[in-house]
Parts: sequence; C-alpha cells; structure tokens
Amino acid sequence: MSLEANVREDAPKKRKIKTTKVVNGVDTEVEVEIDDVAAIAWPERSKLRVLNQDIPRVDGPDKVTGVARYTHDVRLPGMVYARLLVSPLPRAKVVNLDVEAAKKVKGVVHVLVVKGTETGFLGDPVAAVSAESMDAAEDGLRALAAKFEPLPWAADHDSAMKEGAPLVAKSGNVSKAATDGDEAKARAALAAGAFRVKATYRLPVQHHACLETHGVVVDFRGGDEATVYCSTQAAHGFAGDAAEELGLPANAVTGIVEHMGGGFGSKFGLDKQGQVACQIAKELKRPVHLMLDRRAEFLMAGNRSGGIQTIEASCDADGKMTGFVVDAFKHGGLQAGSLAGMPYCYRPESHYRAVRSVRMHLDASRAMRAPGSPQASFGMEGIVDELAYAAGIDLVRFRKQNLPADAAWQHQLDRVAQEIGWADHPHKSKPGEASGQECIGIGFGVSAWGGGGSDDCEVEVRIDRDGSITAACGVQDLGTGTRTYMAAITAEEFGLAVRDVTAKLGSSRLGMGVGSGGSVTTASLAPAVKDAASKARVAFAAHLGQVLRLPAEGFRFEPEGVLHTGAKTPTVMTWKKACGTLPAEGLRAQGKWIESLAARGVNCTQAARVAVDPGTGRVRVLHMVCVQAVGLPLNRLALKSQIQGGMIQALGYALSEERVIDPLLGIQLNPSFEEYKMPHALEIPRMTTIIDDLDTRQGVIGVGEPPVIPGAGAIANAIYNACGARVRDLPITPDKVLAALGKVV
Amino acid sequence: MADVTDRALGGEEAADLSRRRFLRGAGGVAAGGMIAPSLLAASGSANAAPAIAAHPAGPETLDGDVEIELLINGTKRKVVVEPRTTLLDALRMRIDPALTGTKSVCERGNCGACTVLVDGEPRYACLQLACDLRGRAITTIEGLGTPAQLSVLQQEFVAYDGSMCGFCTPGFVVAITACLQKDPAASEATIRTACAGNLCRCGTQPQIFEAALAAGRRLAEGK
Repeated sequence: MSLEANVREDAPKKRKIKTTKVVNGVDTEVEVEIDDVAAIAWPERSKLRVLNQDIPRVDGPDKVTGVARYTHDVRLPGMVYARLLVSPLPRAKVVNLDVEAAKKVKGVVHVLVVKGTETGFLGDPVAAVSAESMDAAEDGLRALAAKFEPLPWAADHDSAMKEGAPLVAKSGNVSKAATDGDEAKARAALAAGAFRVKATYRLPVQHHACLETHGVVVDFRGGDEATVYCSTQAAHGFAGDAAEELGLPANAVTGIVEHMGGGFGSKFGLDKQGQVACQIAKELKRPVHLMLDRRAEFLMAGNRSGGIQTIEASCDADGKMTGFVVDAFKHGGLQAGSLAGMPYCYRPESHYRAVRSVRMHLDASRAMRAPGSPQASFGMEGIVDELAYAAGIDLVRFRKQNLPADAAWQHQLDRVAQEIGWADHPHKSKPGEASGQECIGIGFGVSAWGGGGSDDCEVEVRIDRDGSITAACGVQDLGTGTRTYMAAITAEEFGLAVRDVTAKLGSSRLGMGVGSGGSVTTASLAPAVKDAASKARVAFAAHLGQVLRLPAEGFRFEPEGVLHTGAKTPTVMTWKKACGTLPAEGLRAQGKWIESLAARGVNCTQAARVAVDPGTGRVRVLHMVCVQAVGLPLNRLALKSQIQGGMIQALGYALSEERVIDPLLGIQLNPSFEEYKMPHALEIPRMTTIIDDLDTRQGVIGVGEPPVIPGAGAIANAIYNACGARVRDLPITPDKVLAALGKVV
Repeated sequence: MADVTDRALGGEEAADLSRRRFLRGAGGVAAGGMIAPSLLAASGSANAAPAIAAHPAGPETLDGDVEIELLINGTKRKVVVEPRTTLLDALRMRIDPALTGTKSVCERGNCGACTVLVDGEPRYACLQLACDLRGRAITTIEGLGTPAQLSVLQQEFVAYDGSMCGFCTPGFVVAITACLQKDPAASEATIRTACAGNLCRCGTQPQIFEAALAAGRRLAEGK
C-alpha cells in the first residue's frame, strides 16, 4: 500500500500496455498508455462495492426455473440415444453377445461391441446400443442376452493380498511401500512416550454421486465439424480427444459445457463413454446422446479410494506429541488410490509412514474433492483424540499445542470452540457415560489445502456501443459461482451492477480456461478477469479522452456514471452514453493471470456436536461449525454455500456413505440411491459457517476442497466424546456404535 | 409385507395371485396387467398398429406407440408414448420441444429430481406412466415461473443461494411449492419433510430451508 502511495505522489508515470482492438473486423493488437501504478491490485476490502458481499448467482434464475441446459438436456434433430452395457462381474469372459438380435429390435439403429472377449473390472463397458428412443436402446441391451463366465477376481483387501491371488496389475496386487520419515527415531520416540496409543482406522470407498451422470452428446452429422457437449470439469479438456475419435482436425471440434450437474473430481476428459459416443456418431453420422445410467455411474465413474491405517502415536506428560508411525493401505481399485501425507496437519517430533496400494478388479478411484485428505484427516484426528484422552488433556488445548504455533488453526480452534459451546461442555478430557436416552458430545478437526492459481486462463472483457459489457473465458462453472464472480469483478471495475455484465463461459471456442480440480479455478481465473477488466477500463478511458479531448487519467467509472475529475466541474455522463461513443466494433481487452492477485494455502477448522442414543446406536449430528480461511472473499454467499456443501458431504462420509461389494459374488450391493445413502433434508444439522476474516491476504483462493476434509473426524470424535464409543471404521452406522459400546458383538 | 401375505395364502401360486390382485387393486391401465408386451412389440414380432381400445369387459388396452393428450402447465400437448413410457421420459424425450427442466437422476423414485405436480400434489415423474395421466393437470418446473418472472419461492431460492450445480434444484422448487401452496406458514420441520425425498449432492439444503421459510413469510403476508 505504501509503495503505491509513493508512486502516486508525483504526476503519475506512464507505461505502455498492449490491448486488442477490432479493426475492420480483425483483432489487432494496439498499444495504449496507462498510469504506471506498481501493479494491478485488488482494492482494499473496505472499498469494495460489489465483491466481498453476498452476490446472488447470476445463473440462479436459470437454475430455479429449469431453463439451465445441461448435457443431459441437449436435444438435437436426428439424435439417437445410446446406453451402455457394463460388466456385471469383476472379471469375466464374454460368452454371449447377440448383436444381430439387438439390431433387430424396433428402434435400434446401432450396436457397438466395446469389449467382446474379457472384462477387467466390475463396470467395464462391454457394448453400446443406440436407438431412436432410450427405451428402445434398453430393449436392445436386453436383446443382446449377454452372458458372462466368471474368471478369478480379487474384489476385497484380503483376497487381493493372498498369495496366488488373481493379478490385477502385472507388477502384483500390492505396491512397494512409499515411505517417509525416520522409522528408528519415530519408534524410539513411541517407546519413550509418557502416553502411547495404537489403533487401526478403516476408510470406505465413497462415491462422487454426481446427480448428473457422466456423459456426452456428440453432434456430428458427417460434415467437417462437430460439437461435443460434455458434463465435465474442463471445457478445454476433451474436444481434442473427441476430434481424434471422430477423425477430425482438433480445431474442428467445439467442446461445450454450459452447466454441469456435479463433478467433485470425477469428470475430466472425454472418458470411455465419450469415446464410445464419438465412435457411434462417426459411424452413424447422427448426433449421439450417451449419458450413463445410475447403475453404470456407480460402477464405472470413479470413487474416493478407501483404505486401512494402523497408527501408533505418543506424547510426553505435557501432551506434546513425540512419535508417530502409520502403516497404511490404499484401496483404489485398478488405481493406486490416494492418501495425503500423515501426520497431516499435526507436528509430532518424529514420524514415519509406509503406504502401500492394494489393487482390485474394481473401478479405478478418481480425484474426489480434496483427494486423499479426508482419509488422512480421519485417522489423524482420531489418533490425536485418543492420545489427548490418554493424557487427560483438554481436546482443544491438546490440538493447539501440536499444531504449528503460528498457524491459523490456533485462532480458528478458539473460534469453533466458542461457537460449538465448548466452554460449557462437561466432557473436555473424558468422554460422557453411555446412559440415558441421548448423550451429547463434541469433536474437532482441522484441514489445509494448497489450491493456488496458474497461468491457464485467457479472459476477454468486451464493451459494446449499446452499453453491454461481457467477460468471457472458456472455463466452466461447476456450480461454484464462476459466472457470478466473472461478472462481479468486471462490475466492480466499472462501477456497474453485477446484472449489467454478461459472463460467458463453457466453450472451447472462448479463451483458454483452467480445468476445475484442486480448488484452482478461482485463483487462476479471477486475476485474469481483473487484469482484462482493468485493461479495458484504461483503454476505455483513453478512448473517451480522445473523443472528449480530456486527459485520459481523469476518468472514473462510478455507479453514478462516468466521471471526469480533471475538469473544473466533474463531468458526468451515463455509462450508456459513454459506450455510445465507441466504434461499431466496440472495445476489447485481454487479461492473463497475475500472480500477486492470487494467494495459496488455506486453513479450515471444524467442530461437530452430536447426540447419540446409546440404546440404539443412532447418531444425530446437531450442529456443525466451520471457520474457513478464503483469502480475499469474492462472493460471501457462494463461499458459504460451498463450505456448507463440503461439510454435508463429510457428514455423509461420516455416517452413511459406503460402496458395498460382495467379494464372493463380485457385485456391488448398493449401486443406486436407494441403498447408497446420502444425507437428506431431515439429517442436515444446524450449520454455522464463518469466513475467517483474520485471513487478510489480498489474494483470491478457491475453497472447494478444504471444508470437506475434517468433518468426518470431527463427527467420529464427537460420538466418542458423547458416550465413549470409539468407532474407527467409516461410515459410523448404529451397529458399529453399539459394538463399540460392547452392546452387540 | 407382500411376503407375509404371500405366505399366508400359501405357496408360490398364491403369491402370484396375490400380487396380481394387488396390482389390479392398485388400479389403472398401467397396473392392470394390460401393459403391452413392449419387448415383443419392440422386437418386431408384433407390429402392433397404434391403438387405444376400450376393452369390452374391462380396462382399456394400450399397445405399441399411442398418441395421447396431456395437460401440461395449462396447455394440452399431444405426445406419442408407449404404454410403458414414464411421464419423465415423455416430458424429456417425447414432447417437442422437450421439457428438460424436470431432471432424470435415478429413474426409480430415490432422488426427487423429477418431482412434478399432478393435480397439485408432488409426484416423482419417473414413477408415473404418461398414459395414466390423461386428463390430469401436470405442472412442471417450467410452469412455475420463468427467469424474467420468477415465483416468490424461486426469487428466494436465488436470494439465499438455494442452488449450486443446480441439477436437483427444479425438484426441490416443485416439492416446496406444493408444500407452501398448502401452508405458506409451514414450519422448517414441515418444509424439511416436504423435501426429504429430494437429494442434493452439492449440499444446498441449508440455503433451501432459508429460502423456503422466507418465501413462506412473503406468501403468508400476501407480498
């Protein structure tokens, strides 16, 4: 700030920047002179008029009226509906596939054998039938009368680990341990610890459970070009692959994602169903609609990897953690799975970890909201809790002394403790008794996420003669509010209202946009929008200066209109009138990422209050509190929604969500929303979401990941705190609570 | 429950009888055992001419592609369906232009994304046969408001941020509309129950409750 003030003291220095102007319908780069303020910066928070407020999302009206168009909703003339047949077993020989019979079914126009010999995992695509209607496509699938002969498989931890187990990967089912830390030192610390605990934690496989299933609509009719609609987290990430499948040049295929119904890490790239749809379209020369049905979505569209963690930890008499050793397995199906580094956020004096992957003939895990972190957090928060109780130390104090002293978690823990009512809670270092109708408990958890931005977004801000103003980038809005902050940043720059700005996104025809994974979108995109808007403002001022013969630097864009302060009396003209002076082609400016406008690394702390019925083992989460650092908040309303959404997903992970596989039959027992249980309206607790305004960084950060991380640990800890039931195996269902209380075996 | 009845009646045959009787009891063309053997029709062996025939001695028989008229959002719409076509599929894939605001998520009554109003009552469109709904008033999300003219509830959904990805949103809006039409002063507990059959993966429920309560207050005050 002081630097900026110094620069501004004298007559402003000038520097030249490049911007694009349309000359005769051609984008032409021109140089304009601007004030040389040290760099573009976000205004101080107190001066923000639009940003850092509650901004209703600009596409809200489309979403609440059903107008918003998703890939599922694309309807094209001559379009066929395709459905996939997937392997019903983890490994099988395909012994019958009656393609001719399927082709004879009324309405069926195409049958594609994707894998006609042998399948490699439960959910492996086998065939696709396309028809004039979805019903006919399903008739066609049945007419295939597919028969599968089981081949030996490994579909759970124990059978995959067995000697002579059917091999999932050539190199073997169990990977070499990836290790970190000094084992001898850590074990010595464990041995010398005043208090020591050892326990095994188990993580289920969780599903992304996107409400819009994975899929594409391929609009190819045999010409030189194609448009592919895809429910994806990366609008720029699949058109090239689709072009290859269609046999078209990469620049002949446009990728579109106007709206998408949830991804959570599972929707990147064209995917198998996208390749299949392209093959069908190429052969039929007709548009193809191929969205997975719900069962296929469960079986083949990814998941959060599960695992097992055996943890030993120790502390000294004062509660300072000394030793930490974890021996972990990851369950990622065909994939390695993921697990964040443990001891995660905590800092024992010495640690050692060994992590192995156990592969199975099951769908490959994919990134899921903070990949590997909820898993690491659950084991970590559990063992920290166990150690704190062993040492008889207040759970909040124990955490604070084992987290870095200068970390935001210190004040965040105080804040969540206050909000959840810790001061008046009777069980601070000893759990409550399992008696009566309802036992109340409180638990805590912390998390961290890097996020940060990158130079992967190209934004154009365009002002037209009729007063319309557009911010455009070929990025996608997953429902996090991307469109809204693109409009809001631009509105802030020009003294306009958010509704005055049109945000355009979701097309590979627009400027490059970053893929939305790992909370990187906002930190990558917002600075580029700011850059483009800022350059457009300077260019507009220069233009007005020329037209009105006034010094360009005197123009200010305010809610009351376009002002000029250089003249003796401020000149005011309406935005529309000012725009009316533009040439027919309007004005355009391009923006790129500016590192100083983004920040990296956020902390989050949560607490949960639960009620446990010790007679039935039923758990009700009463209240969840989150304090989340967000850097510079762009839209407080959307931030709150996203943070609460993360907490609710964690609630499901804690209490009910789990892929259940019968390893002998080789089937998933719950590939539907009937049996795969997500939180619903009656289970949503009271939620307190606090944006950590002590994080005063003037850089933006995405917060998709961190709020989903600590909730499950906090809830599990609250259950123990309530009644002494330590359940180390998610999800915490009533039977497990009763077993932990010794009431059932 | 069916099992208990079956066993009480003794043996598989009785069980079958009881199921059939149950289905008949449940009424209507759909469940009356008169559904066309669609697979047969589809496989080409029965090139049934589109026909709606009143069975002389009982319920009407539908077979193959039939044209019916549905009353959707106050407008009569002709649509060609098969007897097995659900209202959801009729809306999304058989009416032109398609009404895609009603979302298809689970196709088996688990998620509420396809909630519509039938004579004012919330119903899962994936569990309704289109041909059963002739003469009934069907209201879809498209019938409740437009972006330029939002209903009070839709306005509050926007104000409180009751949507993120938005895929579940139409179903919630329809379910809560039905609830508030009955009782604008509905309590939060009533509102929660009204949308307990709707799933949201982004976790927008807290904002939805706030929006519904705010809309209820406005509706109760007649604003």
